[in-house]
Amino acid sequence: MILTGFLKTVQLTFFGLIMGLILGILLAIGDLYGGKIISTIIKFYVEFFRGSPIIIQLFIFYFSVPIMLNIRLGSTIVGFIVFALNSAAYQKGYIKGAMESVYKDQMTAALSLGLSKVQAIMYVVLPQAMRIMIPGWSNEFSSLGKSTAAILIIGERDLTAIGRTIAFRTFRFLETYAFIALIYFIFISIVLKILDIIYEKIKIPTIEISA
Amino acid sequence: MGEQKKEAVGTPGGRRIADIILECRNLWKIYGKIVAVKDVSLEVKEGDIKLIFGPSGSGKSTLARCLAMLTTPTKGDVFLMGECLTKPGVDLNKARAKIGFVFQHIWLFHHLSALGNIELGLRRVLKLPKNEAREQAIQALKEVKMEEWANHFPAQLSGGQQQRVGIARALAMSPEIIILDEPTSALDPELTGEVIDTLRDLAKKGTTMLVISHEMPFAREVADEMIFLDEGMIVERGQPELFFTKPSSERARRFMARLIKLTRRE
Repeated sequence: MILTGFLKTVQLTFFGLIMGLILGILLAIGDLYGGKIISTIIKFYVEFFRGSPIIIQLFIFYFSVPIMLNIRLGSTIVGFIVFALNSAAYQKGYIKGAMESVYKDQMTAALSLGLSKVQAIMYVVLPQAMRIMIPGWSNEFSSLGKSTAAILIIGERDLTAIGRTIAFRTFRFLETYAFIALIYFIFISIVLKILDIIYEKIKIPTIEISA
Repeated sequence: MGEQKKEAVGTPGGRRIADIILECRNLWKIYGKIVAVKDVSLEVKEGDIKLIFGPSGSGKSTLARCLAMLTTPTKGDVFLMGECLTKPGVDLNKARAKIGFVFQHIWLFHHLSALGNIELGLRRVLKLPKNEAREQAIQALKEVKMEEWANHFPAQLSGGQQQRVGIARALAMSPEIIILDEPTSALDPELTGEVIDTLRDLAKKGTTMLVISHEMPFAREVADEMIFLDEGMIVERGQPELFFTKPSSERARRFMARLIKLTRRE
């Protein structure tokens, strides 16, 4: 039972993180190159998802949106949507910052070779921005991994929800919640370690300065 | 002044005078209230080495960028091989691929090795297959005597080595012309020497070049024409000997005197 809950949490976290990355890149590019109108729309989007509680966002997509569009959305789907959109809003900031830090000279140099703007972003700006972004991305991962617990509010059976059920059934609140917290802790620590290793692996080589 | 040729405008788009590679006519670049380039016309013929010099803030870099269409001129036209680049609808990416550009602050791609820096344009712009791009990139590195450093990253190279890779990157695309924007001014005198040697080699091979530089011995040796720019305008132009013996404008005379004094002190 705990395992299925855990897998749900992992699923929600990674889906949100990866969709958030793809969306976040598009948002960052839109903001940097899209002109005033697009950039204003993106700003509203980001402010909404960063400025409102994630529980409200879950409610909106679970209760309001289905009524407005006259569709039915399961709690898992709503989780995927909300965590992806929410994470994209945060990741856009990291990506844009990283892109801006490599952006101008490297862009000019790429254009001077005859690369198109899109090629320059793909082959020059993004590869460098991604490297810079990994520490920020680690942050976003650990925060999102824990935020997914909010989904129990719309009835999804994630790790926290399962833990709550067990706790109420056994009346061993302390042990159960401590154990659940430990699982979160181990999961997040392992992934952070992996990201750390990746960061070191793909770091751009420089001269080693030894004291 | 006065020497600026006012040639009749030929049929637009058609090849006019075959051996003119790059040309600008009545070029202006205005940023807000600042006039960076003021009505400049010049042309670079095949095999020509033109040298532009002048005080800082005189619009040299802006002019160079306008000629490479890295900045859009406010007024006036730029022609590459007779094709007007300043009219709407021109494929600028294609044009830029034919104009090599070497930057003052080098601007190699930090995340790519020396080889990778050169391969990028060959693969993605000229669409060469992988092994062919590699071969040509190595060839370009050989021309600047950097083949031993092929797998080093920019941060692992000295400034002079980086700039030689920058030159190789521009060279590898087999451009019609190479524009060099103060290629040595970010380097110390020792490193300047190795970059100047590289440029001398290029000059010997007949590479068409437009160089912004204050390396006067180099200028005197290789330049076909020197152009003195001040306040965005061409003040005086002519063969190097003119500037080293008797520049006719007061401003050029004073600037040359200062430059020569500086060079001697070193």
